[in-house]
Amino acid sequence: MLKIERPLPHGGRLVERVVRNPELAKKMAKGCPVYDIKPTLHFETGVPVRNVYREIMSICYGFFSPVEGSMTQAEVERILKERRLLNDWVFPYPLVFDISEEDYKKLGVTSGDRVLLRLKGEPFAVLDVEEVWRIDDPEELAHKTFGTPEDNPEVVRQRFDKKHPGWVIYRSLNPVVLAGKYTIINEPKFKPPFDRFWYPPKKSREEYDKRGWRTVINHQTRNVPHVGHEFLMKDAAFMGDIEPCHGIQVNAIIGVKRRGDYPDEAIVEGHEMLHLAGYIKPERHLVTICLWDMRYGNPLESILHGIIRQNMGCTHHMFGRDHAAVGEYYDMYATQILWGKGIPSFGFPAPITDVPYGLQIRPQNMAEFWYCPKCGEIAYSGTCNHTKEKQKFSGSFVRGMVAEGVFPPKVIFRPEVYKVIVKWWKKFGYPFCNEEYVKKKEKELEVDLPHMEI
Amino acid sequence: MAHFIAILLDEKRLDALKGTGLEEKISDLFGGALKALNIEVPEDAEKWIMEAFTSSRIDTRGAITDLPIAFNRVLFEEIVKHKSIGKEVFDSVLARADEIKKAAAKESSYLPPPDVDLSDIEKLQKKPYQTA
Repeated sequence: MLKIERPLPHGGRLVERVVRNPELAKKMAKGCPVYDIKPTLHFETGVPVRNVYREIMSICYGFFSPVEGSMTQAEVERILKERRLLNDWVFPYPLVFDISEEDYKKLGVTSGDRVLLRLKGEPFAVLDVEEVWRIDDPEELAHKTFGTPEDNPEVVRQRFDKKHPGWVIYRSLNPVVLAGKYTIINEPKFKPPFDRFWYPPKKSREEYDKRGWRTVINHQTRNVPHVGHEFLMKDAAFMGDIEPCHGIQVNAIIGVKRRGDYPDEAIVEGHEMLHLAGYIKPERHLVTICLWDMRYGNPLESILHGIIRQNMGCTHHMFGRDHAAVGEYYDMYATQILWGKGIPSFGFPAPITDVPYGLQIRPQNMAEFWYCPKCGEIAYSGTCNHTKEKQKFSGSFVRGMVAEGVFPPKVIFRPEVYKVIVKWWKKFGYPFCNEEYVKKKEKELEVDLPHMEI
Repeated sequence: MAHFIAILLDEKRLDALKGTGLEEKISDLFGGALKALNIEVPEDAEKWIMEAFTSSRIDTRGAITDLPIAFNRVLFEEIVKHKSIGKEVFDSVLARADEIKKAAAKESSYLPPPDVDLSDIEKLQKKPYQTA
């Protein structure tokens, strides 16, 4: 059999925990103690670093299948030890609903109770509490989540610290965890421009059917695409089975970003511009989003990316150097090591697609693309031998050029894509995420909620 | 190994360099689509830069990047003034440290957007679509 079929969801079935019948929703929430969701604040600076609503959305709409809720202590411990859920399926990160001791006292709930979670003042979801447990030492949790040079010498190069945004998220968690399943009872409405990119797994699989896509390669992004990204996508898509992949899916991670990343609005519209301006045929291109406050966990983040995109129905996933990385905490090829041969200290003695209860999505481990003035084209580093003449797409170089207001040449940015950056720059007064952007975004979020009387 | 700073040159900056004798030091980037002046940074100046601007980093090319725009602006002004890319340029830049730091602090919340005509993308985005 040479033809590749669409993989099953991770865990065998798609989770969908969304109640669309308002009467049933009201009945479920009636009389429940109420908790207003708050952002997780940086343990030192107080700046928002995460909003658990994004995890609730991604869980309930099936992006994180088979996860169904906030994790119990035993589940978190198993993840930290073996990167597996209690049902044996591979999963990289602890996901918890954490609250302060003060809020816990006010709420007065225990296992067996149901909590109504409000977002922006409106009913949003319910949490059926199975267990209440405590994070005794958030710093230890943060270290165990990402690994250490001593425990994970294959890929961890330096001890994590407060310069790492993912480590900060775990270090900043509140001490009380309410573990249990979430159910959304009042579907949030995405605001433009995010609304047109919302393709949760059930819908993305339907969309692939509609387009006749059997093979789909996913591009993970937190960037406005420069021409190097565009060629990565186009060239990686030649991998398929008996023909190139039918579809190129872009899945942008929407959530709190580190300073210097582009605003989410510019990222999604920048990718969309590639098909609006004809650089990729729209029939072959789908731009989508997933809500998640990035942990920047390189190989661990790649597991989550594989899970999300397998659940969406993708057959292939591109992984480059320094995948979802920040700083030099991990080996720059850590993700490719995980997918190529495994990382035993993280519980994977073999590639993550070859272990029991592992993933089915196929990795496409890519080296880098550069501009070669001698070839006169964007070239693949594994092919072009003009190593002296090459011009790398350094992210910081490109950001510097943008910040200086230099109109980039078309070998770096398609002019229409660059103009999308300028469009949002004019709106936010800044081309990249800064503290003002993060605060505004966390106040307004990507969604609004319809009014619901309980 | 000494690190360098690449100053990007738009038409205005290229004009300012005319007659300084530095034209021959201009290098082509991306097949000539961009012009830049690569300036080697003395060790003491590099130390000062890395401490003063926490966002700064050294990329895989050995270039010091993510510097405030204000720093690059002052550096270029001093290059033109001295008609040189030598150590004396950095001495003059460091003498203006307070001015650079003040301007850099403002940059973290606002950068003026370039005056670019967006009408073509506004037309394309009028009816955005995900399929033909």
